[in-house]
Amino acid sequence: MASVTYEHVTKEFGNVKAVNDLNLQIDDKEFLVFVGPSGCGKTTALRLLAGLEEITSGTIKIGDRVVNDIPPKDRDIAMVFQSYALYPHMTVYDNLAFGLKLRKTPKEEIGRRVNAAAEILGIGELLTRKPRQLSGGQRQRVAVGRAIVREPKVFLFDEPLSNLDAKLRIAMRAEITKLHHRLGTTFIYVTHDQMEAMTMASRIAVINKGLLLQLDTPQMLYDKPDNMFVAGFIGSPALNFFKAKLRKEDGKLIVDAGSFSVPVPPDRSKAYDAFVGKPVVFGIRPEDIYNPAFVPPGIHAAPVEVKVDVTELMGNEIFLYLVSGESTIVARVDPRTDFHIGDKVQVSFNMDKCHLFDPESELAIR
Amino acid sequence: MSNQSQSFKRLTGSLTFQKRFSMTVRLIIALFLIAFAVFPVIWIVSASFDNSNSLATQNLIPVQAGIKNYQRLFNLDPQFRFGDLNYWRWLWNSIKVSGITTILNLSLTTMAAYAFSRLRFTGRVTVLKAILLIQVFPNLLALVAIYVIIFQFGEIIPALGLNTHAGLIMVYLGGSMGMNIWLMKGFLDTIPRAIDESGMVDGASHFQIFWTLLLPLLRPILVVIGILGFIGTYGDFLLARILLTDVDKYTLMVGLQIFTAGMFDKKWGVFAAGALIGALPIMITYLSLQDQIAGGLTAGAVKE
Repeated sequence: MASVTYEHVTKEFGNVKAVNDLNLQIDDKEFLVFVGPSGCGKTTALRLLAGLEEITSGTIKIGDRVVNDIPPKDRDIAMVFQSYALYPHMTVYDNLAFGLKLRKTPKEEIGRRVNAAAEILGIGELLTRKPRQLSGGQRQRVAVGRAIVREPKVFLFDEPLSNLDAKLRIAMRAEITKLHHRLGTTFIYVTHDQMEAMTMASRIAVINKGLLLQLDTPQMLYDKPDNMFVAGFIGSPALNFFKAKLRKEDGKLIVDAGSFSVPVPPDRSKAYDAFVGKPVVFGIRPEDIYNPAFVPPGIHAAPVEVKVDVTELMGNEIFLYLVSGESTIVARVDPRTDFHIGDKVQVSFNMDKCHLFDPESELAIR
Repeated sequence: MSNQSQSFKRLTGSLTFQKRFSMTVRLIIALFLIAFAVFPVIWIVSASFDNSNSLATQNLIPVQAGIKNYQRLFNLDPQFRFGDLNYWRWLWNSIKVSGITTILNLSLTTMAAYAFSRLRFTGRVTVLKAILLIQVFPNLLALVAIYVIIFQFGEIIPALGLNTHAGLIMVYLGGSMGMNIWLMKGFLDTIPRAIDESGMVDGASHFQIFWTLLLPLLRPILVVIGILGFIGTYGDFLLARILLTDVDKYTLMVGLQIFTAGMFDKKWGVFAAGALIGALPIMITYLSLQDQIAGGLTAGAVKE
């Protein structure tokens, strides 16, 4: 068990900065998820910690120990690879025991640990099989098991679920979360799937183009994204963005998106005052757009005229694809909504949950 | 249309007929190819049991069948002496030279291929290309040069000079390793690096990764390179003929040639008998390792 610290860590591949001045403190027993689009540097950040890549500059600490020049085997970490990377010529038992054998662990101890890990993961009856005789989900469990038996200080997961089918992925997601509670060890998990990040993490680090954009709890990332990238990346369907202008009318701030104008709640006017008369980016999440018939009480609702382009019934909700002027809006509304394609209707924006960004810096205005 | 031609058409048009017809055609082609390949072997077998010992009068089924040729080969025929020619000695020399070449070839090739495939060092690509370029020129072209090199080498280190097996082995190694390194590297490249990395995190050193994780996966290509290398060296005549001068040091191919070298005294039957016995080690190696040439050893390692 240990904390992990990245201090000004940079990794360059030729001229490309895969990881750019990463500063990050991961607490002991935390479940931290690196999330970002493919090629953003999240896997590289993990591999730097594992010791599979050399750091260009900066320091990485596990606990209080700087590990920059320490080989992977002495870092007391275990890693689950995206491709599982099982040893194909060894049985499941030998796969699990390999790391322990190299460390000259006594035979009885190896047996005990392997059986314990196999029991946790429900692979007890597979121990004599070879990897090629296993299904994708079973291989995945073996890969996790290989990490567990080592009882390391830090667990690293590199997109471990991306090769599984959707159903299995959700099941394994829950199992890994359970495992984290059970083992009480630091988990660092890399994924491009924001759903995985949201459901498993105690904190999420959103990375894009090698830069750490925001580090926070899932709820905070969702509610208060620091910038346009985080706002658009977290949440599905994605947040709606509109190019707009901020103007003042009778002492009230109004967001003018061209085809529609909506008033800003009074409690935000102080933060937004500096942007009056300037272009801004207005953002609202699909679930903060309501059918006027089902608006919850006590919110600042702003009516917007739209045309219904497509409706998708999901059972417990309806996705509406709406058109207002040039822009398309995605809304997630109550399933009782009875809108039809081509209808000209009114929807309500919950302005308490709206986001405003500076189009130049792409940072949230607060 | 008559009834008969209609039923004929029905017969030839039926699926069973078409299947049988194509099967028959394939069988005929296969039999022809087998006959083509087996005929020389049968001819040699026949020649070795033909006591008449003449190419001109030989029949596929020998008129004077017998084991005289084998007796002569092993110096067991009291009316016939080859003098100091020693068949068993040549056979042993051949097996020794080919065996050592194969083992050295495999170990050096594998380690070199591991470095080229897994490590990143300056000049890696240049060296790889150089190896390939050198391979483009057949050994034969360098025959004179090889002779001179080995001659001069022997001046400094006599154990590696002309008329030594060690020198011959060195020349064989130089000739075959380049191509084999490329083959092996190609195979290694298909083994996912994640296996190495997983081993690294598990606590394995470079050597342990190479020895316990990669080598077992390399078995199919090791066997292929091993068998081909062994057969190639075992069957080589030219280099051995040039570099070896003592009859005692001869390899089998060079030794056998003596039987056919006499101007008016070619002993084809003895030659055939010797060739036939000489082919046994290769057959044994091949048959015993045949099952090992199995692909798909890495199946299940990673999810593609």
